[in-house]
Amino acid sequence: MSATATPPTRARRPAKPGVPWTTWAGIATFVAITAWAVLEPLGGIGFSLAPLFTEQAVAGWYIIRRFFDPEWSFLPRAYPRFVETLYIAVIASAVGCSVALPISLLASSVTNANRVLHGVVRTWLSVIRSLPDIAWALLFVAAVGTGALGGIMALTIFNIGIIAKLTSETVDGVDLGPVEAASASGAGRVQTAWVSVVPQILPGYLSYSLYVFELNIRASLVLGLVGAGGIGNVIKVTLSRFEYERLGAVIVAFFVIVVILDQISIALRRRLV
Amino acid sequence: MSTETATRRSAPTGPPRPTPPDKTRRTVAMVALASVILLCFWLVESRWSRLPEFPFDFARYLGFMAEGVFANPVGDETLTGFWTNAAALMIESLHMAWIGTIIGAIFSLPMGFLAARNVSPRPVVAASRAVLNAIRAIPELIWAIMIMLPVFGLGPVSGAMALGINSIGTLGKLTSEVIEGIDPGPVEAARASGARQLQILRWGTLPQVMPEVVAFWLYRFEINIRAGAILGVVAAGGIGSLLSSVLGRRLWERAGIMLAVIVLVTIAVDMISARLRRRIIAGPGGDDDAAPEETSTHAGAYV
Repeated sequence: MSATATPPTRARRPAKPGVPWTTWAGIATFVAITAWAVLEPLGGIGFSLAPLFTEQAVAGWYIIRRFFDPEWSFLPRAYPRFVETLYIAVIASAVGCSVALPISLLASSVTNANRVLHGVVRTWLSVIRSLPDIAWALLFVAAVGTGALGGIMALTIFNIGIIAKLTSETVDGVDLGPVEAASASGAGRVQTAWVSVVPQILPGYLSYSLYVFELNIRASLVLGLVGAGGIGNVIKVTLSRFEYERLGAVIVAFFVIVVILDQISIALRRRLV
Repeated sequence: MSTETATRRSAPTGPPRPTPPDKTRRTVAMVALASVILLCFWLVESRWSRLPEFPFDFARYLGFMAEGVFANPVGDETLTGFWTNAAALMIESLHMAWIGTIIGAIFSLPMGFLAARNVSPRPVVAASRAVLNAIRAIPELIWAIMIMLPVFGLGPVSGAMALGINSIGTLGKLTSEVIEGIDPGPVEAARASGARQLQILRWGTLPQVMPEVVAFWLYRFEINIRAGAILGVVAAGGIGSLLSSVLGRRLWERAGIMLAVIVLVTIAVDMISARLRRRIIAGPGGDDDAAPEETSTHAGAYV
């Protein structure tokens, strides 16, 4: 056995593959951007975990403790705002979903043969989605004044962006058989879309609509902060008065509602798909 | 259609036509839904009277904003000031999103392994999933208000931390799902060649999941840019706070410039990130177009 200890005829091991230069370039870019973002002298935000180990953290801890000592008796006074949040979410989902269905049909090449038009619609949708919900809320509140109307409009636009994107992707993937059958039997463009595409995408579309409703309830936190009505309004007021105990109670109640609605929505979605 | 009716007429003894399915439940559900929606319209205290004039007002405001965006900023110090100021704040938002994503990536990778059924023992999986779910249930805004602002003070550091915490939740969940979907072959091969548990994870599991996980990181970065804009409203850094005060004072030209900067930067980052993601999934030398379009994951990552 000892004779085979150094077999001279053994094939050379293949050389280890070298690291391609793109990997090094990627790592260098990553490090550079991170340094730029973290370090204050380079124009970054001066990120540091140091505050965790100073008196500031102790002072912060007192505030955090107040959040976890909720003043439940405040909730009845916040009740109208909770209900308003629900109204806003329902209306915005309903309007947004109804408008988004025809738009999503326009945004897919399956139902819209006009390449230019469907490109235009797609571009608009990505512009809509590139602005966060808060920007829409600020815009509409500035345009129509504070109150629920601004919130409804902001969420409606936001919903159209999301639903039309998701639904048009579903439209892209439909089975083309029924579409051909409909157009072969002489149906027009709208009729073809209505009888052959819409039934196929309906489960997906409805499930996106429910999903968007969930998003709307969550977004109502933000909307109120900028004056667009709903529960966020209470958060804004209590936060500006440093009433952390009340804020704690409102946030806990909000989460209970969100979780309940999510469960309902998930159950419905599971039945749909 | 016509042949069918013809045969039916000539052969009345043929098999009966199936009865149309019962639509009662569907109709009831539709009516109930419609009435709930109408009730909401009725009950909400909204100034609907402003709606008819809204299109004209809004068109006028859009005109003001376009004036701001398309005015020649060269030589006009106020305008150039607006542009550079908006760009600087947007860059701050980008920095917050970048740091938040890194925090999320660093902590979510081990969390993802702990939460994957095919890697960790049951109690560990249950515990780490509970943690991830709790983190995900709370939006960035609440993390910022309740925890980060008291500890880190007003400013972008709080915002970055809030984004980071929230990213841990979503990324951890997505990572664990990817890990559960791996091909068991390489893991068995690693085990058969005598690898220890950690080595199995390093050489059997990690290489399989890494491309998709990195794609998720990039995707989360895109989401964090949008979320970072919100945090400014509670003074946690980024472009949100100035946008809010500018629009609150109805400075339309300036608001137009800020919105233009947000849209341009967001779309540019999205496009770069989408290309990178496709390249990462397809692998070196892979066909960019052959990579699967992300559709279902898109929806999942929003939550």
